[in-house]
Amino acid sequence: MSTSVLEQPTAPPAPPVLATLDDRALVRRAKSGDLAAYDELVRRYQERIYATLYHMTANHEDANDLAQEAFIKAYHSLRSFKGDSTFFTWLYRIAVNRTINFLKQRKHKTHLSLNDLDFNAEHDPDLVALISDKTPRREAGLAELQEKLNAAMLQLSETHRLVVALHDVQGLSHEEISRIMDCNVGTVRSRLFYARQQLQCLLSDYLKSP
Amino acid sequence: MSQSPDNFDALQKLLALKRHEPPPPGYFNRFAGRVIAQLEADGAMRAPTWWQRWWEALNSPPVLALSYGAVIVGLVMLGTGLLQSLELEADPALAASQPWLARDSFSVAAVAAPIAELPRSPSLDPTGLASSFNPVLGSSAPPFLFNPNGLRVQRVSYQPR
Repeated sequence: MSTSVLEQPTAPPAPPVLATLDDRALVRRAKSGDLAAYDELVRRYQERIYATLYHMTANHEDANDLAQEAFIKAYHSLRSFKGDSTFFTWLYRIAVNRTINFLKQRKHKTHLSLNDLDFNAEHDPDLVALISDKTPRREAGLAELQEKLNAAMLQLSETHRLVVALHDVQGLSHEEISRIMDCNVGTVRSRLFYARQQLQCLLSDYLKSP
Repeated sequence: MSQSPDNFDALQKLLALKRHEPPPPGYFNRFAGRVIAQLEADGAMRAPTWWQRWWEALNSPPVLALSYGAVIVGLVMLGTGLLQSLELEADPALAASQPWLARDSFSVAAVAAPIAELPRSPSLDPTGLASSFNPVLGSSAPPFLFNPNGLRVQRVSYQPR
């Protein structure tokens, strides 16, 4: 599962008219075969879908392939989309279900392929405060912390990891997560609590008391 | 280093690190283009097969599904009626023995015609007892749908002494 990211040409941006349309109108157009409308939908949600899948897999290449698959599958399934939920929720479900199946298959061959931390991470006071005093260089400390955090995330079950990724990393509400995971809000809360407890145990060496 | 099990502030600060893991520069400029190129290579929207269209029709709103059902039932009834009328035209003897069918195959009133209008059969005649022993000789056609062999039914009444 690997696709070269840099080989592909840059696509021209969607026409400005499409950018003003809401999701429903774009879905209607895409259903009738308008690929430009679907291109606009992809642009709207690519970052969020990619980020969720990246936090689930801790591997850039896998997240890239899974995100592409999700958008292609969603396009071919557009006719079955009745509009009972938002397009965003429906798309998330497709992406998340495919990723959970993928993770179950690769259970025993986990390979981290982490993206580089951006410039802002070094200047985030909360993150800087978390770096161990024993680490002489700040960058090394953050990179080490990133690896430990991703390794700890991978020790959670797929559903627990998904709840943490959607709520604590991406900032989705409990209600939104319950719609994506097709469960009630109470289940989301309990999964989140359990996942945080597990992470807290796994990362206790890196967590300082407030 | 001790952490309260219900206090996740430090953990949430640590998890914020994950927001600083962007993909390679320019990645999202090319992503949509790759998806659309793949769709174009696949032939974009594949034409649905007949069973996919049928399944979608079944999953459509109930009013539409009911109207489909009504049309199908109507067509079946029309076909049955046409078949019966063709059979009657082809066999005059059958038409003569079953006048309620020959009159108007599609009329409910004709089917539910009064019994008095039906031809008298020996099997119904109180004096024609002999024919009940041999219904084949006694009547040329069954007079009733629910009494095809012309069997006589004698009610039994029991009165306590």
